[in-house]
Amino acid sequence: MSGAVVEAALLKSAAAGALSLAFGGAPLGVLLIARRMSLVGDAMSHAILPGVAIAFLITGPDPVGLTIGALIAAFVVAGASTAMSRLRAVPEDASFAVFYLAALALGVVLIGKVASANFTQALLFGEAGSFDRESLILAASAATATLVSLALFVRGFLGEGADPVFMRASRAPGWALHLLLMMLVALNLVAGFRAFGALMTVGLMMIPAAAARFWARGYAGQAGAAVLISALASLTGILLAAVIQIEPGAVMTLAAATAFAVSALAGPRGSLIQSLPCRPHLEG
Amino acid sequence: MNGVRLHNLTLGYERHPAVHHLEGAFAQGRLNAIVGPNGSGKSTLLKGIAGALAPLSGRIDLAGLAARDVAYLPQDNGVARAFPMTLETLVSLGLWGRRGLFGAVSAADRAAIAAAFAAVGLTGLEQRGIDEVSGGQLQRALFARVLVQDARLILLDEPFAALDGRTTADLIALIRRWPGEGRTVLIVSHDLDLVRSLCTQTLLLTREAVAWGDTDMVLGAENLLRARRLSEGWADDAAICHHDGHDHPHGQAA
Repeated sequence: MSGAVVEAALLKSAAAGALSLAFGGAPLGVLLIARRMSLVGDAMSHAILPGVAIAFLITGPDPVGLTIGALIAAFVVAGASTAMSRLRAVPEDASFAVFYLAALALGVVLIGKVASANFTQALLFGEAGSFDRESLILAASAATATLVSLALFVRGFLGEGADPVFMRASRAPGWALHLLLMMLVALNLVAGFRAFGALMTVGLMMIPAAAARFWARGYAGQAGAAVLISALASLTGILLAAVIQIEPGAVMTLAAATAFAVSALAGPRGSLIQSLPCRPHLEG
Repeated sequence: MNGVRLHNLTLGYERHPAVHHLEGAFAQGRLNAIVGPNGSGKSTLLKGIAGALAPLSGRIDLAGLAARDVAYLPQDNGVARAFPMTLETLVSLGLWGRRGLFGAVSAADRAAIAAAFAAVGLTGLEQRGIDEVSGGQLQRALFARVLVQDARLILLDEPFAALDGRTTADLIALIRRWPGEGRTVLIVSHDLDLVRSLCTQTLLLTREAVAWGDTDMVLGAENLLRARRLSEGWADDAAICHHDGHDHPHGQAA
């Protein structure tokens, strides 16, 4: 097999993985932004680090072990943050900031102690070559779990976001929905972190979701737009990265940021162009 | 027979009572008002009846009504306007009590939602975002959600605050139909003229019941004067209640 064929196969599996992450992550990003929980993705991605470091201590650089360590750590943060969100004294974003900084610090200490600088860099910014069969299955499972959960519980997720007082009075299981949302975020981030990096995966979840706000009004429209933007940005990023021979995670995130800039300038809803004074109206 | 009965009910926050020792009943299938000066515990009482605040002592008897039989519209409606949601989705949340987490929306549900939009005069605005409508239109949509809830007991906290005259008149016309449909309505309001014209029964509250019964009797000059005197004597964080000739702090009792 020639080098070009191997390269093409790698590109294909990275693209398939990125599409899975677009379908799973972007609709969750829309929910997180709408609930003013943009920081949650960041917090979760940093929480993955100490989990990976502990797994590295136990299993060495075994990919399955690292993924399980990341999942356990992310689920612990998901559960702890759900518990914290029931406390009134600390606003939700503040309790996340606490987790995020503590987990980052713990991750830095542990990883600095056990792993090489290369390993840390791969963890944060990704290594697309690591998108093997198992990673693809995990990414596809995360997307499937997310879409099925959204289909089943969308009324609950939207109600909790738009009118939590009403939902509480209606005896809706708010904490269970919150926990499920956090678990899904965790699952999608872990599915992407080895190939595209813990930080860059958050970018692909949140930036297309932010851009989608300039395109659609309701949740369904915004989720659809976010999936589309995320998929386009990912594929563009992977191709560009292959051309200039660097890891794709950061290029994908930059492509998403470009899509955000275009949306903010020219999207049909509340963009810069929309907010310019309209001459015909002034004259009419 | 009585829709909502209060048994020696005390409600409050962080063990500071806000309303004390309420004993009595709101008439079933009638328009009941709860009036009183600022800080008299009106909203707290409604929140307690809605089940959003547990009693410090005593109890609330809803005569067998389940949570889904109660519709509650709080004063600060709590709707996150920045959330990506259409008015139609907001109104359809009223199905939660009957459809819950899993239930599918039926054709009859869709018809009920369309009828509710028509009843509040919002037909045609179903697909507007909740961030794209006026405060009055949002309040109309929240009334449409109450209609979709199809509840036996409806709790409204200052439902006309900050609304224009036209919207208020439309929503009052809607409320007047509810007793005829067998629904019990509790309205918290500071507008005594409105209460006199709308509600047959009134509770005058100043952290305790000053008077409770027919609106004309309750809103007599003597009762109103007494309510004002009582409210002028309040300390901001009184934790002691004067009842039955003895003083007792509520915190330790719970």
